[in-house]
Amino acid sequence: MPDNKKSKRQLAWVYDLNKCIGCQTCSVACKMLWNNEEEGADHQWWMTVNTKPGAGTPRGWESMGGGYDAKGKLHFGRLPTPEEFGGGWDFNYDDVLRGGKGRSAHLKKISGSKTWGMNWDEDEGGGEFPNAYFFYLPRMCNHCTDAACVEACPSGAMFKRESDGLVLRDEDACTGSQQCASACPYKKIYFNEARGVSQHCIGCFPRLEQGVAPVCVRQCPGRAAFVGFLDDENSAVHRLVAKHRVALPLHPEFNTTPNVFYVPPLAPAPLREDGSWDENASRIPPNILEDLFGTEVHGALEVLRSELDKKRRGKESKVMDELILYQWKDCLGHLTRDPAEIVWKRS
Amino acid sequence: MAQTDSNWADRYREKWTWDSVTWGTHSVDCYPGGCPFRVYTKNGRIVREEQASIHTPIEAGIPDRNPMGCQKGACWSHCHYSQDRITTPLKRAGERGEGKWQEVSWDEALTDIADAMLDAIEEQGPESIITPLTPEVGAQPARLFNRVLGTPTSDGNAEFQDFSPGWHLTWGVFNPTSSMDDWFLADLTLIWHANPVYTNIHWYHYLAESRYNGGEIVTIAPDYSASATHADYHQPIRIGTDAALALSMCKVIIDSGLYQKQFVQEQTDLPLLVRKDNGRFLRGNEVYDWDREDQFFWWNTLNGSLTSAPRNTLALLDVDPALEGTFKVTLSDLSEIEVEPVFQLLKRHLEDYTPERAGEICEIAPDNIRKLARKVATRKTKIFIGWNSGKYYHGDLMERAMALLLGLTGNWGKKGTGTRSWAIMGMDGDAFMARKPGPGQEAAQKHIASMIAMRKLVSVNDPTMTPEMVQNRAAEVASELGGMGNMIPPAFLWYYQFGYKERWNDPENNDPTMKRSFDEYVNEAIEKGWFGDRASKVFQHVEPRVFFESGGNVLRRQRGGQKQLLKHLWPKLKMIVSVDYRMTTTGLHSDYVLPAAQHYEKLVHSMMSVHHLRFVLGDKATEPLGDSLPDVEIGFRLVEKIEERAAKRGLTEFKDCEGNVRSLVGLSDQLSQGGALREEEVRFDEAIRDNAVYGLLPKGTTLETLREKGAVRFTSWGSIGHGISQGSSIRPDEIHTPMRWHVEDKVPYDTLVRRAQYYIDHDWFIEAGEALPTHKEPTNQGGAQRRFLMTSGHNRWSIHSMNMTNNILLNTHRGEPFVFINDDDAVGLGIENGDKVRMTSNAGTMLIQAKISPSVRPGQLIVYNGFEPYMHEEHYSQADLEPGHVKHLGLAGGYGHLTYRAFSWQPIPADRAVRCDIEKVMD
Repeated sequence: MPDNKKSKRQLAWVYDLNKCIGCQTCSVACKMLWNNEEEGADHQWWMTVNTKPGAGTPRGWESMGGGYDAKGKLHFGRLPTPEEFGGGWDFNYDDVLRGGKGRSAHLKKISGSKTWGMNWDEDEGGGEFPNAYFFYLPRMCNHCTDAACVEACPSGAMFKRESDGLVLRDEDACTGSQQCASACPYKKIYFNEARGVSQHCIGCFPRLEQGVAPVCVRQCPGRAAFVGFLDDENSAVHRLVAKHRVALPLHPEFNTTPNVFYVPPLAPAPLREDGSWDENASRIPPNILEDLFGTEVHGALEVLRSELDKKRRGKESKVMDELILYQWKDCLGHLTRDPAEIVWKRS
Repeated sequence: MAQTDSNWADRYREKWTWDSVTWGTHSVDCYPGGCPFRVYTKNGRIVREEQASIHTPIEAGIPDRNPMGCQKGACWSHCHYSQDRITTPLKRAGERGEGKWQEVSWDEALTDIADAMLDAIEEQGPESIITPLTPEVGAQPARLFNRVLGTPTSDGNAEFQDFSPGWHLTWGVFNPTSSMDDWFLADLTLIWHANPVYTNIHWYHYLAESRYNGGEIVTIAPDYSASATHADYHQPIRIGTDAALALSMCKVIIDSGLYQKQFVQEQTDLPLLVRKDNGRFLRGNEVYDWDREDQFFWWNTLNGSLTSAPRNTLALLDVDPALEGTFKVTLSDLSEIEVEPVFQLLKRHLEDYTPERAGEICEIAPDNIRKLARKVATRKTKIFIGWNSGKYYHGDLMERAMALLLGLTGNWGKKGTGTRSWAIMGMDGDAFMARKPGPGQEAAQKHIASMIAMRKLVSVNDPTMTPEMVQNRAAEVASELGGMGNMIPPAFLWYYQFGYKERWNDPENNDPTMKRSFDEYVNEAIEKGWFGDRASKVFQHVEPRVFFESGGNVLRRQRGGQKQLLKHLWPKLKMIVSVDYRMTTTGLHSDYVLPAAQHYEKLVHSMMSVHHLRFVLGDKATEPLGDSLPDVEIGFRLVEKIEERAAKRGLTEFKDCEGNVRSLVGLSDQLSQGGALREEEVRFDEAIRDNAVYGLLPKGTTLETLREKGAVRFTSWGSIGHGISQGSSIRPDEIHTPMRWHVEDKVPYDTLVRRAQYYIDHDWFIEAGEALPTHKEPTNQGGAQRRFLMTSGHNRWSIHSMNMTNNILLNTHRGEPFVFINDDDAVGLGIENGDKVRMTSNAGTMLIQAKISPSVRPGQLIVYNGFEPYMHEEHYSQADLEPGHVKHLGLAGGYGHLTYRAFSWQPIPADRAVRCDIEKVMD
């Protein structure tokens, strides 16, 4: 395990999968801010939302390896190929709209992957009709407490920031070995071919420095995202993770102690053979959720169900009220500043 | 943190800086939105935008609306600089559709266009200049010439089919719609004919939060849609059978005595008496020589007598109207007949809809129907509907059946209940700008005073008319509607000039139980003058010559397909103009493409809607790119060019088809109050100030105050648009709940019988067996022999086709058009995920990529719409598979509320459940 894992405080995220609607506003907001019109970044989506079950991006990332074993030994996994990440498309606009070719030219991809994209298997899901099932899984760098990428980095460019636990990379020191990406079990590290450096979510640190929440949280119209210090008792993140225990890490068996947590998905009652609703059965097979969130998922779902039931019986529920988010600002933790207030002193 | 003090970190810090911040919003019909954004500009270029998140809750105990927005809005600025952006006027240099262009000056373009318009006026009259209504409100001012030349605009409700005919038949209005925060308060939400996870991204959270608040969500849809994933129950249903499900629930509710008797007696026509001899309502002039034809009756069980159902109130007063029983009535000619309440007729009718029978029709377990019916009957229930049902051939029947379910259970007129459709408000300040006696707010005051006086005249012969009725009658006269005054229902234009006569007379596309040919219904509607001569007769002989599309994309949108238009309409046109900020498929087939400023390059406001109750400012962040111009500037320049070119040919006036003389002199002055309101910013400010005078916005609101706040709440509905159709006043500290006037204040509805009307005794409805809501099978449109039913709906990634070609959004899905097919169906056809397939109906064919999912119902093909046709190989899209058929009953008129006004009752095309086939294509 890396020595530099200890930070004074840890910033953490919670995504409520019962509110996430897969709209990609977080992905788009992140893309617009950090990877739009940036050299070598066409294919980079530090924030992505994928349909589960599904191969996601990079395609089949969950079986590529990386992370730590139970004894704390670092395992390098497979480096995803550009084709597996997919996307990075540009299109032949001029050809179609100004090329004088009429119907013989149609808008099509002229660069990037031919077989995959960051959200290629959107809404495909699993199961059999009428008991098909799927849900959305937003993914970003987990800013792990035991960050495999940091330990794997041969140049010392990667570090865990002391003040808030963000996992960052000194891009000036990065040699582009991509050991970090091999070691990351979540495969959330991209390679910038043009600049010869690896890149991943920077936690919107320039915004944090100004007291402004990251775009993935502040722009989430589903009000499904929360950010805050894990140990801040005034933050919704703390309460959802530590107090109510309804938010869980993704793939805890990767042993990197991730700091992005998920409220697991409920799903509609499945139908029996005769078409009637079976309210006591689970539409999403329990093993699917266990694979993602570990066995604790059952307890978290039980809390959700019993708190929902309280509300339905007209009783109070602090857990439900937290997730309802009456006041939107409560999802921002201490990062409540409106960025539009900022006036930059430009040199 | 030593490491971050180096260059790499500063590069990131520098990236998140800007020179200026302005308010932004998107002036589009996104169901309708109105999201306040902040737009960030650096070095003269817009770099990004972010939701402003400035909403404070209207009512305590309801979550706020922040951060209202979506992924389209979050990368709107990318469209400003996209490769499909147009920044120079383009003149066609090859064949139409070829994509060869010559860059020209504004003067050259406008001269050619103005000349073509004047030629058209001289040859055939102003009716030969067609402008389809645009769903992009910001683009509307480019068509300022409409207002002064009297050229027709084809009605948006038919153009984009966002009409709910069943609501109109029931309530006389199609759009009683709560503000979206009300969704939070429902105890039971039926997501039915809607997919809000895709289409209501900015507001969906209220549904999720309603569930967390103890409400239950049931999604009723053929497929396991994205909006089913967060429901408590998904009820799969056979495509097009929703009326049977709703009617069966009604039966369960009535049989178990769970209906709200007083609500039914008071608010609906179910206690009104119907003659057993002819199946018609018993009418006043049949009973008494002196009485009105539109007087209807109850049977009062308290004294066993015939009683007039009051026309001026819904209150029962001292009457207990019978819901069941057969009664004898003596008519004025002394003959005796038997009558019975509609409720009794309904009960007999519902015998066909036992849960077992309906279960077979809908492929639903009967127990689910019973369970669901009991839930609806015992809870505050909202039917969360989109604009899908109205696009089914028998969508009117589905909606009427749903309205019946809500009526029996008393589920409207209070918080957390009701249903929805789209509802926008007009902007009085803009509509009346040219009509007031001069510039300034005193003139606005004078104008509103004279308008109020005029409206009083409308009700002079009938003091029982409600404000809603006065409003609707005024709209039918259309003189008050400003820019909407020239709206026509386009069905007749399509029929005679767009080549639909053949299609609409094809029995395969029609209801097989239709008693006469489609043509006979058209002729009867025209003969009886149900839609007015202007809309219905003119296009029997006037051929379109100029087609002016601003902000719309008819070749993407038109049901019946682009082939239909290119074959029948295009050859008649001497001039096709597309005003847009980007090259659409329609632009590609135009003679001129005129570059409009993008939304952050001009002054815009959000679509004014009862959904969000706010006027939201979009300010000018940068100058328009290249030669592009704000739409209002394009509008004025074109009008001025028309004046100039008319003078040159010595033309000072002309006659329209009705013989009205219209001037070609002083047009721009007429629109701008003598030039005083000619400039964009002055005009925008004037409209806001006038809105404050007219009561829509808080007193003292100006552009300047808006630049501080970004958005303000409405203070009243104003006098145009769908505001007043809400049947509720705006309250300062409450969310909006429609139909309170009816339910709380007992104000009558604007229907023939002045109550929610389930029984339509119009000749055609009786002939069709649709006097009561009933279930009918989908038609064979597309081809009886074909195996699949194609359904559609708005996609997740664009507003119509507007953002579809945004490279960032294309990267968030497959980046090309696709059809969703069930996994077992795909296996049977040898189709693999990602294969190229051809889909074919009797109307046409297209090439598309297959996407496979078990969420799709077997036998269903889902093609989300909004893809540009030029994204398909060969450029044909799903619209080319749709016959574009309308149901003949949409032509019915001469019956109370079945009359045309802008955005209201008229035939609209059906495009859901088109029969088609699919096959793999080898490259």
